[in-house]
Amino acid sequence: MNRRRVLLALGGLGLTGASAWAVRNDAASGSGLPIEVTTMDAPGSEAGERRVPAADAVTVVDLFATWCSPCKEQMDALATVRESYGEEVAMISVTNERLGGSLSREDLREWWRENDGAWALGLDPDSELMSALGASGLPYVAVFDAEGAVRWSDSGLTDATDLRGAVDDALATP
Amino acid sequence: MDRREYLRTAAAVGLAGGTAGCASVLDSNPNVALGEPDREFDSEDAPYPAWGQRIPDVALPAPLDDRTVELRAIDRPSVLTFFYSHCNTVCPVLLSTMRNVHTHTLNEGYADEVAFFPTTFDPARDDADRLRTYADEMNVATDADNWAFLRPASEDRATQVVQEQFGVMFERTEPEDMDMYMFTHTALTLLVNADGYVERAYRTDSPDAERILSDLETVRS
Repeated sequence: MNRRRVLLALGGLGLTGASAWAVRNDAASGSGLPIEVTTMDAPGSEAGERRVPAADAVTVVDLFATWCSPCKEQMDALATVRESYGEEVAMISVTNERLGGSLSREDLREWWRENDGAWALGLDPDSELMSALGASGLPYVAVFDAEGAVRWSDSGLTDATDLRGAVDDALATP
Repeated sequence: MDRREYLRTAAAVGLAGGTAGCASVLDSNPNVALGEPDREFDSEDAPYPAWGQRIPDVALPAPLDDRTVELRAIDRPSVLTFFYSHCNTVCPVLLSTMRNVHTHTLNEGYADEVAFFPTTFDPARDDADRLRTYADEMNVATDADNWAFLRPASEDRATQVVQEQFGVMFERTEPEDMDMYMFTHTALTLLVNADGYVERAYRTDSPDAERILSDLETVRS
């Protein structure tokens, strides 16, 4: 059995584990944050730039994509938390989809409208934020404390109770 | 001196053959534009085609375009990844990254200089119709000439090509909470140059589009 066969035989899990670990390791170092994210004109969102995480405020960051159905469901929990905390907590939803081809700015705005977005809507076409957070799946939600440290993050659908708990913890951070 | 010119010169003075076997010793390789990646193993020890190695000599059908793609005959830089469309976790991220790089080529007007070949390892379900629907969901502009889904003709062929030649491990699972089979699998995105040599093998389930674009720029120049 040659070397290649041996490695093949060892199987994928070890390799997947290793690559996933590397990604998380990056995130743990918090490398690359904060990032200036371009925001666009949409309900609750103005065109401009936003620092992620916000300076001196607890920040909820939601990574999504228009092709991701659970990301639509994620919007409900985000809206609930948004209503509870209002402006006390900064919230931004960011897609890493590059506009162009068969996805226009208007398509994205339409998605946002349909899913009742009412906070900042950001664009991350080079997946900078996604990489910095080490998100390997969508939806992905992270909560930062006012010092800019990640207090909590979750890949996959997060319900409103868990998200509220994470925000409360971040707010309680001295 | 650009890479092609270097290759011509090297061939002329009889160096090409001599240096080809030294890829693991030297940190440069005349077949590739990018330097050796920072890693703790040599390409020959990787289970997948790695930096400086030629991609496997295989031909795969492109069902949406009604043609067969011979991977070694592609005459421009290309990006490959491996997926199955019923996947909920890793594959949409791989595909989405590829789609974002693809959209960059469309937006910036160099689409005819790079080709994209997402390859399914689930031919049983990923037929032409399914791939078309999936492309639509993922906002992929499949009408662009430089994007072609590849589909091995059978499950055996998928194992033979994707697993054995590209080193992408996949195994069927039957999740209890789902009424269909899924796969556990490894993630691999390849950047291949116009001569068919691997410039970069991104072994991550969340490849960075910006890094691919920057590597691609070097490979194109």
